[in-house]
Amino acid sequence: MSRYLKYLMIAFGRVFAYPSYILLASTCAITAFLLAVWFPNLGLIVQIFSGTDTPLTAKFGIMFSLLGGISTNFSPFSAAYTIAIAVLFGFTAAMIVYLLRQRRLAAAGRNIAISSGAMASGVLGIGCAACGSLIAGAILPALGATGALALLPLNGEEFGILSVVLLFISLALISKSIAEPMACPIAQPTTAQQP
Amino acid sequence: MFIEKLTGALMMGLLLLTGFANVQAAQQNAADPVLVEQIRDAVMKELRESGTMDRAVDAGISRYLERERAEAAQREQSEAGKRATALRPVVKGRDHIRGNPDAPVTLVEYSDFECPFCKRFHLTAKKLVDESKGQLKWVYRHFPLDELHPVKARKEAAASECAAELGGNDAFWKFADRFYELTPSNNRTNIDKVLPQIAREIGLDSAKFASCLASGRHDRRVTEDQQNAVATGGRGTPWSLIVSKSGKIFPLSGAQPYATIKQLVDLALQDK
Repeated sequence: MSRYLKYLMIAFGRVFAYPSYILLASTCAITAFLLAVWFPNLGLIVQIFSGTDTPLTAKFGIMFSLLGGISTNFSPFSAAYTIAIAVLFGFTAAMIVYLLRQRRLAAAGRNIAISSGAMASGVLGIGCAACGSLIAGAILPALGATGALALLPLNGEEFGILSVVLLFISLALISKSIAEPMACPIAQPTTAQQP
Repeated sequence: MFIEKLTGALMMGLLLLTGFANVQAAQQNAADPVLVEQIRDAVMKELRESGTMDRAVDAGISRYLERERAEAAQREQSEAGKRATALRPVVKGRDHIRGNPDAPVTLVEYSDFECPFCKRFHLTAKKLVDESKGQLKWVYRHFPLDELHPVKARKEAAASECAAELGGNDAFWKFADRFYELTPSNNRTNIDKVLPQIAREIGLDSAKFASCLASGRHDRRVTEDQQNAVATGGRGTPWSLIVSKSGKIFPLSGAQPYATIKQLVDLALQDK
């Protein structure tokens, strides 16, 4: 555990020494957060922005005020994991780009796969879990699993927790790839005796 | 797409010019590849330097964006049209209305009594109606989420209908206010205790209330409301539609902040 913490610190030091990676991580985190909060009302946003009779100030005013939904339309727990998902996604994305630019494609590919799983799980957990306006609430009945959410102890918020866990795993593995030296280890000399 | 077309057109022009040059050259003498190359370069240079190419590309991109925007607006209009058709008209005798029944803007809320976010939204909507000076009316419809709140949410919706049957519109709203005040949401309500208690508190005949609830005569109405919620696009609660006087609808999902709903109501008020 402490080994991974060390990797994490080394990797953060290397990647975020460049302002461009800080900018990339922030952009990804903010985008993920905005999408999560606006997600239940994307239809309204499209309607307002495609309407020609709505003043621009009103359009942006509504979009901005919808961000307050993080406190009114999320439980403290779901708000916490939504923010955590956004932040971890930002870090992960920036570090994957760093790996790609180092041409360490195998490590990047493995981490892209884990992060994609994490984000898919995060998307399932987004929304008002307690009241069914999350994607899982729409998908499960379509799969003939009506009532499945009620069987989950946290009514679907499990997907959010899973997402945070997966993103942490991904981040730890990426950090290991970045922190470890890019060289083949020297083979240990064999001590077997010659016949 | 436009850029491809433009490139195609330019290439065609060049080919024609090349062809023309070739014909002339053939007429004058044998084909001169150097001359063809010179003409081609000259045409391209002229197009680039005069800015004709840039202007054409800009105009093409603008037209493309405009077309995309118009198509998005059309798609949204069609969605809005479907929603407007699906929305059951508000009827004074049937619907539970709070505020001025003749208000130009209507907030139709589809709600679940066990949803903690509906509980929160109830206070926001109440504040908006109280402050609207008769410009906003609030219509409450049922959307029990059986997957999440089995049995209880539906029973509570039927109980509120019993309150309306026995005490009218005012009794319905007193029931709803008191219910959200008293109960913890998320299936933690002791309905056998709380429902009769609220009925007593708001002055309803306890025996008649119990008999109405046991009869199940409002179950169908609750289901009709629920079906209407889904038909209008509701996927969770609270699901609200803010309807202007002209019938324009702003859909709103979840317990959104006061500021958002206020701005939408103001927009709806501007729509005559």
